Amino acid sequence: MVLTISAPLRLAPRPRVEGRLQPYLFLLPALVLVALISFLPLAFAVLQSFFRSEYLNLGRFVGTENYLDFLYGRGGAGFLWNSLVYCAGTVAVALPLGFLLALVLNQDLPFRGPLRTLLILPWLVSNLVGALLWGWLGNPQYSPVIHSLRQLGLAVPDMVTDKHAAMTAVVLCNAWASYPLVMVLVLAALQTVPRELLESAEIDGASGWQRFRFVTFPMVSNTTLVCLVLTTLHAFKNVEIILLMTGGGPVGGTETMAIRVFQEGFQFFRMGVASSGAIVVFLMNVLFTLAFIQVLRTEGGA
Amino acid sequence: MNAYRRLGAPSLPLRAAQWLLLAVALAFALGPILWGLSTSLKTPEEINALPPTWIPHEITFANYAEAVFSARFLRHVLNTVLVVAACLAISLWVSAHAAYAAARFRFRGKNLILILMWTTIMIPGVAVIVPLYLASVWTGLYDTLWALILVYSAWLVPTLIWLLRGFVSGIPVELEEAARIDGCSRLSAFYRITLPLLRPGLLAGSVLVFTLVWNEFLIGYSLVLSNESRLVQVGIYFFITEVGIKWGPLTAAAIGAILPILIAYAFLQRAFIQGLSAGAVKG
Repeated sequence: MVLTISAPLRLAPRPRVEGRLQPYLFLLPALVLVALISFLPLAFAVLQSFFRSEYLNLGRFVGTENYLDFLYGRGGAGFLWNSLVYCAGTVAVALPLGFLLALVLNQDLPFRGPLRTLLILPWLVSNLVGALLWGWLGNPQYSPVIHSLRQLGLAVPDMVTDKHAAMTAVVLCNAWASYPLVMVLVLAALQTVPRELLESAEIDGASGWQRFRFVTFPMVSNTTLVCLVLTTLHAFKNVEIILLMTGGGPVGGTETMAIRVFQEGFQFFRMGVASSGAIVVFLMNVLFTLAFIQVLRTEGGA
Repeated sequence: MNAYRRLGAPSLPLRAAQWLLLAVALAFALGPILWGLSTSLKTPEEINALPPTWIPHEITFANYAEAVFSARFLRHVLNTVLVVAACLAISLWVSAHAAYAAARFRFRGKNLILILMWTTIMIPGVAVIVPLYLASVWTGLYDTLWALILVYSAWLVPTLIWLLRGFVSGIPVELEEAARIDGCSRLSAFYRITLPLLRPGLLAGSVLVFTLVWNEFLIGYSLVLSNESRLVQVGIYFFITEVGIKWGPLTAAAIGAILPILIAYAFLQRAFIQGLSAGAVKG
């Protein structure tokens, strides 16, 4: 005992100066890279958001004009509503779907492995390619699905001209890309639920629903909350899917906040306005994450 | 044994509902991919045929040939591979050192530094494309692969530190101590003992690097102008806007872009799940 305790002490004499600097040297390259490429641009975006931009250069100081322009200019803040619908719609589809699939796949099931692999596939596909494939499947003229539905006498609205159809299409595509993460994370959490606990609950006379409600669910509820946040954040900042499928249209019907920032910067080249929008997106991201951490803390404490 | 079976076997209606759910989910998951695959194998006449056919009558690979040659797909794949290789080298090297410091040392300001780095994960890509675009123009890196390599590496580092720190903590510290008794310095103990044992973590990290770079669009679109420097996803995007919509070659390119990830996933499922779950925070 004495030996094992004193041995490390003798091995690590009080570190000299270079010894005390050592951890910082290990961290330095990472720190420099992140500071230069993540913090500096963010700081510049904050600065730029208060100035009128003349293409690449800063013009005069304009206070909050860019922010007001972003929020109230060009058809108002309809994009706030669109962002909300896009996020809520994605969560409403992806979360229950991923959760239920995890429950099903957690049992002894024939073909469980192959089923899991096939259901994970959309996760591996990039958002851009996903949007391309969904756009083609939702093509009003050539889609076999829409064609079959029309054969059945259903009036299927056209996602190129109909706002609601366009929103439904982009939400479906994003939910398609998002549900596998929920499935994988919840499945991992379910596997930590001890079997003995479920068995003893059963011996005590708990029904299947009660076992789920009072044993399984409390043990995966935190993971489900994490999934809710990840899915929402992904939808909130996502550009590719809407850009490719609808371009924000028709008549701004799918124009979310993230798409507006992208358009201000790279289609209208109004960098100051784009930066102010970017700061708003970032702040909302941070607020949402902090609120979530708070909730997670109180849940864990209770 | 009996109790086990009863727990795992739900009632008949519940079981039917489960298989129904699985069937619907499979159709949802695979529908768009299979329809794209089917289109990519069709002749132009059949693609435009009404009513649309689910399965091609006559299979052709002409669309794949056209996607590869006319859209410079191979050039974009080569660019992407180069960027992936550079990002792997830079981000893994940088993150492994930082993760080692985070897991093995106690020092002043450690938590502050780590938390600051991890907050950058919260910065959405769309929030920094404008300043990054300006910075790349000013530094002369605009329209070069270096701009992409640096940005992707910086984006990956915080997540990789998070991922690798867990793996470093899992390696018994006694192994390093033994090496240091034998006269190794801290750094050489890290290179000789810890780094080789970190292989599963580095593999999961590599998956994260590969999938991010292969699938990323926003930065690749905003920091690169010329066709010669484009990566795969941006190449596909411009294929749509420049060539005009030719669904045959387009779906062929889409399937071609999915294929490498699919093959890698088939071999490295475990590393994929670890890496992608860690990277889920950054989109």
